[in-house]
Amino acid sequence: MRETILKDILRAALATAAAFLFYSLLGGLGPSTLFVLNAFSLIVVTFSVGKEEIFGAILGTVCGLVQDSFSLGVFGIAGLTKTLLGFWTGYVSRRIDVVPFLRNFAFFLVMSSLELILWVLLNALVLGGRVDVRNGLIVFQPLVTAFLGTLILTIVRRIQARRA
Amino acid sequence: MPPWVKRTNFLVLTGLLVFHLLLISIQVPLGSEKKLFERGVFFVFSPLQSGVVSAVRGIRSVWTNYFDLRRVRQDNQKLKQELFFLNQEKRFLEDRLLLFRSEAEVRESLAAFRKSLITARVVGADAGSYFRSVILDKGSSDGIKLDMAVCDRFGNLVGRTIAPVSLKETMVQLITDPESSVSVISATDRIVGIVSGRQGAYCVLKYILASVGGGKEEEELITTGFDKIYPAGIRVGQILSIKPTSSVFKDIVVKPYFSFAALEVVAVLPRISGGPD
Repeated sequence: MRETILKDILRAALATAAAFLFYSLLGGLGPSTLFVLNAFSLIVVTFSVGKEEIFGAILGTVCGLVQDSFSLGVFGIAGLTKTLLGFWTGYVSRRIDVVPFLRNFAFFLVMSSLELILWVLLNALVLGGRVDVRNGLIVFQPLVTAFLGTLILTIVRRIQARRA
Repeated sequence: MPPWVKRTNFLVLTGLLVFHLLLISIQVPLGSEKKLFERGVFFVFSPLQSGVVSAVRGIRSVWTNYFDLRRVRQDNQKLKQELFFLNQEKRFLEDRLLLFRSEAEVRESLAAFRKSLITARVVGADAGSYFRSVILDKGSSDGIKLDMAVCDRFGNLVGRTIAPVSLKETMVQLITDPESSVSVISATDRIVGIVSGRQGAYCVLKYILASVGGGKEEEELITTGFDKIYPAGIRVGQILSIKPTSSVFKDIVVKPYFSFAALEVVAVLPRISGGPD
């Protein structure tokens, strides 16, 4: 039990580093890339699949708070939504089979859409209705997250299958 | 899964959610200073971000320098840099001339101004609230302090430096942030107001009474210097639309001159006195 917790903490730390690395890369490529891709959501959703829901929740908390610290928005909103995203992803993915490509894509799409909706609602609630949805461009975020997440997992699974 | 494990999972989730809700609730109403925890996370991660972006740019520049048209690229960069400084100087000169300074004074100020100008690269943007802030790769070790005006490569106003300012990174509040305020004056009709962000890429010109005449579409807005943050004479944007409202103030939408998508290199201006005294 203790070993599993330690492993989970290490995994969460590595995943957060990966998310931050990815976020920095996107920022380096141009600020506009952040409109359609949230690196932190992508990492949370990809790393939480098939893991304990607590792992997903902790990973979501850390990733969300790092995102919040680089934002002028209210500190904690991304942390809250990503905590739920990680928890839901871990919880659901351990109860249904999400290995097939299309099913995985649909699952990620639903998860990241729910996170986005929650984020918009919370922002609207806290900021009093002033939510920037980038002329609707933000709706592509779950699509891109779902596609890239599914692609990463498919590649990882294939590599693992070949090794086995 | 044993029932106690399931219960523990939900208990941990509840704990995390309560933690976040507390974090959010202590920040309402907005506008308060950044919390120590938030600053801490920023200070820990900002050098990493700087390193990653530098590495990416380094690799990219090696690739392009060796496989692209090397000399043409270097010339182009040199010209761009020259243009960048010339644009900044042009704005500064216009500002000084407006104040009817003598030639010697202008030259002296220009030399001091060029020396103290800090160029920085945009290495990050706000992943949660677009058009509110960006991160620069220069910090307090490069002479950046709080409340310094930031312009793009054409001398258009971008925003101001805000906390946190780490050794090598600085956060910039963009003029498109709804929490920002810039004192401006229109170039022809001389109406004075406050430019603030609204959701998205545009701004609003506030506090212009509906009874006040003047102000038309496409009229340019420049800083007044009254706010003691932004030096006078910096180009901010132009009026996009003026609509009558039922309130005492006009509804004026402003299109800022700086382009968020093209933000790459910026100039951090030294804090100089400006504006009509």
